[in-house]
Amino acid sequence: MVKKSRLLQGLMVLGVAMAFLVGATAADCAPKKDKDKIVIGQAISLSGPLAGGVAISGGKIYELWVEEVNKNGGIYVAEYGKKLPVELKRYDDKSDIGTMSNLIEKLIVEDKVDFIFPPWGTAWLFAAAPICNKYGYILIGGPGGAGKLKELSLPYFFQVLNFSETQAPVLASIFKEVGVKSVAVIYRADLHGIEFGKSLIPDFKKKGIKVKMNKSYPDGIKDVSPMLKEAKSLGVDALVVACYPPGGMLFTAQAMELDINFNAFFLTVLPFSPPLFKGTFGKAIEGVMGGGAWNAKTSPGAKELVEKFKAKFGEEPDYWGGLYYWASLQHFQKAIEKAGTLDQKKIRDIMATQKFETALGPFWYDKDRFFVNHPGEIGQWQKDVFEVIDPGVKRTAPPEYPKPNWPKKAK
Amino acid sequence: MTSARYIDGKSLVVWLLVMAAMALAPHYASRYAIILLSTILMYVVLSVSWAMFSGPTKYISLAPAAFFGAGIYSAAVLGSSLPLLVVILIGGAVSFCLAVLVGALTLRLRGIYFVMFTFGLVELLMHFLLWFELNINDTTGRVVPSIDNSTVYYLMLAVFSLLMVTVYALQGSKFGMALKGVGENEEAAAHIGVNVTVLKITVFGLSAFFMGLAGAIMATKWTYIDPKIAFNPVVSFMPVLMAIFGGLGRPYGPIIGAAIFSYLGEFLITKFPYYYMLIFGVILVVAILYMPGGLVGMAQDIRKYFLRRQHADS
Repeated sequence: MVKKSRLLQGLMVLGVAMAFLVGATAADCAPKKDKDKIVIGQAISLSGPLAGGVAISGGKIYELWVEEVNKNGGIYVAEYGKKLPVELKRYDDKSDIGTMSNLIEKLIVEDKVDFIFPPWGTAWLFAAAPICNKYGYILIGGPGGAGKLKELSLPYFFQVLNFSETQAPVLASIFKEVGVKSVAVIYRADLHGIEFGKSLIPDFKKKGIKVKMNKSYPDGIKDVSPMLKEAKSLGVDALVVACYPPGGMLFTAQAMELDINFNAFFLTVLPFSPPLFKGTFGKAIEGVMGGGAWNAKTSPGAKELVEKFKAKFGEEPDYWGGLYYWASLQHFQKAIEKAGTLDQKKIRDIMATQKFETALGPFWYDKDRFFVNHPGEIGQWQKDVFEVIDPGVKRTAPPEYPKPNWPKKAK
Repeated sequence: MTSARYIDGKSLVVWLLVMAAMALAPHYASRYAIILLSTILMYVVLSVSWAMFSGPTKYISLAPAAFFGAGIYSAAVLGSSLPLLVVILIGGAVSFCLAVLVGALTLRLRGIYFVMFTFGLVELLMHFLLWFELNINDTTGRVVPSIDNSTVYYLMLAVFSLLMVTVYALQGSKFGMALKGVGENEEAAAHIGVNVTVLKITVFGLSAFFMGLAGAIMATKWTYIDPKIAFNPVVSFMPVLMAIFGGLGRPYGPIIGAAIFSYLGEFLITKFPYYYMLIFGVILVVAILYMPGGLVGMAQDIRKYFLRRQHADS
């Protein structure tokens, strides 16, 4: 009796497995319908540790762009002789790399989407780029990225965000200009932190600025006061922290709490986010510098983006990547229209070589397919505006130095 | 009951059929089915190898993420310097050595102490590697050359077959019986002459070996590996949940549990991206509350019920 039932059990398992496999195959052979829309797939973290980051930077820009495109009837593709509306098909990768890479392959081979939008975060981009490249799908990098991605040299991957290699020299020039003599550099022990923490040192040395402290901190740290006190005791003019939002919040809150002031206070990944940074600390953020950067004064297109974003989401956009992603999508749309087809390779070739006018001005990629014409590198909060303080034409306001002390708490 | 622990002719035939169907899958199944099957197999390997040790001995280990991660990281470090098969075997071997070392230290602990320590091991390794990579190597992440999906699938399938052979061999041997004895009453087992320490450590190492193999294979799918990605605590809980979901102490339990659990996860996440967690949570709660024997246990209960009905009719 037992034996017979186990044979049955086994056959049942076999049946279920076959049904699942054949069913999936049948889905594969479904006939192609006439094009009535462009479907763009995205596996992004709607839940898990990264979900907060998706909400404050990047995630919403894609939604806004899709809405904008559809308001105008869609993207005109000559091959079909009509405008095609865009549909964003999103899956939740639970902030898990394995899930994300599976879902991207699902979007490509099973859902047969027309294009892929990027996942969120540097490591996720790293995993997604080779997959998209393997299938010949264009991947325009959104939030995340690192110089290391150049090493993979993938023809279908485009990097949109700026990071240490362009921000560090500008920060050093600003420090030189305002008269910073010495700095303390603290960085998070991960890809972003290390790249930033290490690339700053030579730039500061070149400008004759002394690096008196250079320390890393582990992710998930809960108390940074020893590092703040050490930096203060060394008497440095500027504190530079390469961090992610949680770490940045900690450094800011504890520096305020202990009333430790520096003449310049710079955090990489946090000040750009009005809801998070301004929403938490209010007026106290006056003079804090951060990675970025752009604002409504950068260009007419930038002003328009701020207004549209505010109207849809009721908050200010992210002043680091927001305009970059937005412009990269406009560049992408123009490349599709110029190609007149949805063929990835033709569009890729146009994207890699041609300049188009976008919200931030002319937009193009260099030979490594890295976006070059950033609207700004370093921002500073001045009177409720995240001003671009780069030397040269991108500057929207001169740097405020020394930074005013943290406001005294009402006792 | 003992008959259920040995493989007989009919089961073997079914097994061979299933394996043949799976081995030929890349020829008739869709490309995505293969990707999905690789993931399902990964979870099956993790659950079965977890249950291989924790099932009979009742030592609840939360170290799968540590052994899985050790395999991933070995592959990340070795990268493309060695042939793929060698890299994968080294991944397994590293996990085995780690488990033997840890087992020797901790398998004297019982109950919650053992659970906590094994879970702490995941964090310990992650932070140690972070520190090491940062201060000794000046880096955090490593890039692993990727291999194609069907190779990943065949490798996973090979590991799974090897694991099943091991599990059946163990169950049918006196070591398997001794291991059950450890779970029932460890002192008594020691008194009748079982070398419990060596036995526990060996099987613990063996189960870690398979987790390490699975990790080393998966590393090739993720391209970019850093300690935080390699040592993901969720991986420690999944095999435990899946094995319980399928039914512990029953031969097919962990396999069916892991397969259905991971397929369900995939199905829900793509169909209901915004309610996935809620639905999944409800299913889990219901399963834990109303199916103490897991899926397989429930199936057996239903069968018994119908058998009783048949007897009553006759």
